[in-house]
Amino acid sequence: MLDWLDAFLISGFFGVLQIIGLGLLVHLQMGLSRVANFGVAGFWGLGLYVFGVLYIKVDWPFGDPFQFLICAFLATVASGLAGLLVAWLIADLDVDGALVGTLGFATVVLILATTQTELTGGATGLGGMRFPYDLGPAKTNEFVWVLITTVLVGAILLYVRWVHRSPYGRLLIAVGTNEPLARSLGKSTTRAKLTLFATTSALMGLLGAMQGVMFRFLNPATITINITLAALAGLILGGITRVWGAVVGVLFTVGLFDIVIQFYAPLPQEWFTQAIPVAREAVFGAALVLVLLFRPKGLLGEMKRPQLMRRIHDFN
Amino acid sequence: MTSTEHGRSEIRIRGAKKSFSGRVVVDVDDLVLGDAAVEGLLGPNGAGKTTLMRMIMHSIPLDEGTVTLHKADGSTITLSELPAHQMMSHGVVKSTQVISDFDQLTILDSMLLAVAGSRHESPLRWSAEKELAAEYEDEIRHYLDYFGFTDPNAIAGSAGEKKLLDIVRCLLLKPEVLLLDEPTAGLPEDVTQNVMSVIRDLGEQGTSVVIVEHDLDVIWQLCDEVTFMAEGRVLMKSDPETIRGDSTVVEKYLGAGHG
Repeated sequence: MLDWLDAFLISGFFGVLQIIGLGLLVHLQMGLSRVANFGVAGFWGLGLYVFGVLYIKVDWPFGDPFQFLICAFLATVASGLAGLLVAWLIADLDVDGALVGTLGFATVVLILATTQTELTGGATGLGGMRFPYDLGPAKTNEFVWVLITTVLVGAILLYVRWVHRSPYGRLLIAVGTNEPLARSLGKSTTRAKLTLFATTSALMGLLGAMQGVMFRFLNPATITINITLAALAGLILGGITRVWGAVVGVLFTVGLFDIVIQFYAPLPQEWFTQAIPVAREAVFGAALVLVLLFRPKGLLGEMKRPQLMRRIHDFN
Repeated sequence: MTSTEHGRSEIRIRGAKKSFSGRVVVDVDDLVLGDAAVEGLLGPNGAGKTTLMRMIMHSIPLDEGTVTLHKADGSTITLSELPAHQMMSHGVVKSTQVISDFDQLTILDSMLLAVAGSRHESPLRWSAEKELAAEYEDEIRHYLDYFGFTDPNAIAGSAGEKKLLDIVRCLLLKPEVLLLDEPTAGLPEDVTQNVMSVIRDLGEQGTSVVIVEHDLDVIWQLCDEVTFMAEGRVLMKSDPETIRGDSTVVEKYLGAGHG
């Protein structure tokens, strides 16, 4: 049925979706409330590993889809709680402190995933996850999973769009632009940061669980800083303060490399194993430097609050 | 619980001290602010007026002493033990001396931010924006018209506009005690008159207003009582006429020949 579709293209598209989802969530953290997060891979990886370990190691009295739903829910909760804890630790730190703190958290998750061999399979990894349905060939199951993930990322996009149009989003912008002034208006800026980190980290964990199902294998090599860098590079390139920034930026970076160049560029086959992955990181870095030099607000430019307020209110 | 004599909330400062690098900036033994409807805080530069205001709001922690709020209903709250963001929930609100705004937010945004409560600011309350705008539309329109904000969807540009927006945010919070730090600095004459008129009305309606202001005309016209500070201490507290005529005040602040 899906003979026309390359299996690698499906996973490439899934990867793009994941990074867009993460980029959208980082946009709420860094673009609106300006809380730095260099530990995206940690929250995402925690979700992936909590889901995988619970799914594989626990002898559940029921099968799928309930097994998936319970494990994915617990993975989401675990990442949300981790987000709450990390936010509590970094809430009063400056940008540098928050960057180091979140990076430290991601490193802890990576080390635990690698060293807790009995639980996680360590560096050799751990298999045994399944799709919560069986529609026949693996490619069909994967394709349907990509569709489900598209719906999830679409929902995250709609949520981010709503946040921009809500008092909650206004509070996040206020926290990001002038925290002492927000406090003087009675806003508990610490609570706002904790709530934000808990919800966005929870959704990062859910995306991690989605990753676990797609690849049915836990591997610490997937939860490295590359995930964080891809989400950040895409977001900054697209426009860190814009709703569509992550979508545009990730399509221009990860999408361009992992889909267009991987599948459609007429390049020698041997380049794809060595040269292209290295070039990918180098080009992401170069693109980031160029954007920050010549268009620091990203391709979509800065937040257009006056236009948005004109559209949603009639106070003229 | 006994209510305050005048039926307004007042702030009592006892034994409050603050030093920076060993230099005492504020040393207030016993001071009540808010026992008159509109009260001025006067003194030369470095007298400690702004620091005292910040100590009241707990944006600067006290080295010693206490600041308590005695509400009109008789209840007492120790402000110097509260985090800064809880002052507003007890009706104590302050405008900023240094011009301060939210870079990305429009004038309307700023007003909606001020009136929004935590129930509106939930991360999952879908219709909150419409509810909020509908609930406060009349009030926001009133201030937009009264202070002549021509485009509420613009980001405040000039220093005067930002200063005015700061005052409007404070007014929207419906304070019981309003501390204004140089509220008319940089404002055009007609807007200054509007601000003074609003302050007078607030005082008459039961809010205790405390003003730090270098424009003496504002102090003489508005205030029912004036506290004079110098070198971190309260030297005198009396009605404006007495303050104007006092030799110490004239010598330390007003200068000879001041009418």
